[in-house]
Amino acid sequence: MIENRDRDDGLEAFFDDARAHKARPDSALKARLLEDALAHQPAPAAVAPARRGRLGSAIALLGGWPALTGLATATVAGVWIGVAQPTAVGDLAFGTLSGGEDYSGFMPGYGLEFGDG
Amino acid sequence: MDEVTDEALLVAYANGDARAARTLTDRLAPRVLAHAVRLLGDRAEAEDVTQEALIRLWRLAPDWRQGEAKVTTWLYRVTANLCTDRHRKAGRQVPLEAARDPPDPAPGAVAAMAGAERAAALEAALQVLPERQREAVVLRHIEGLSNPEIAEIMDIGVEAVESLTARGKRKLASLLLPRRDELGLDDD
Repeated sequence: MIENRDRDDGLEAFFDDARAHKARPDSALKARLLEDALAHQPAPAAVAPARRGRLGSAIALLGGWPALTGLATATVAGVWIGVAQPTAVGDLAFGTLSGGEDYSGFMPGYGLEFGDG
Repeated sequence: MDEVTDEALLVAYANGDARAARTLTDRLAPRVLAHAVRLLGDRAEAEDVTQEALIRLWRLAPDWRQGEAKVTTWLYRVTANLCTDRHRKAGRQVPLEAARDPPDPAPGAVAAMAGAERAAALEAALQVLPERQREAVVLRHIEGLSNPEIAEIMDIGVEAVESLTARGKRKLASLLLPRRDELGLDDD
């Protein structure tokens, strides 16, 4: 099939001129159209806050990451004291549980030798 | 942004990208205005139609479904509908004489502006055609769209497009070809 536009029936010169002399928006119309475009434009979407998982919620409950760091340090220190059990801790525990008041063995030089007062 | 498609720009526009708003306006406004002028034959009314068509596009942007239609296809359709509404409201009838005696855009400068005069003569002759013939001829022979694209814009079959353009061109030929000499077109 021969396309209509491929067969010059004398009108092609008119169509060419119409394309060459087409109406163009002037600066006033362009400004008006851009104003419309910006006025109807949706605002940029806000970034939604990240959803917390169960772990995140638990951490938040404890006071956030700083509190969790302190808690972890205390836990590790407790485990270390329990496992290593330095002599001073043993003396302190013995003194406390036996009702005695002789703390001289625990941190000597810090004025805990009450009996000598 | 020249290589970005209209559809992608429209999504960016809907996401609040101001550059997309400017690029789309620069890209689409000339096409809509030129099309509206050819369908209406009136610059002031065509400017109003351009503004209305683009506002409709901006409002639709957040709900635009990519892949379903081209932005330009949608715009050509909306522009034609808005022009039809204006014709109906005005109850406009263009007398045949209008095509035989188009307004002279530049009296006294005919020789220098032969091209502009032919363009004006064609524009006046287009106004004589029935609306659908005019739309089909403009889309096919001035905008350079394919028949399937025009069929989609006009919501008709490809054969109907061919029929409309053929009848429209026959009418244009009967109005314009007798004036070839007068309009500076020699047969030699």
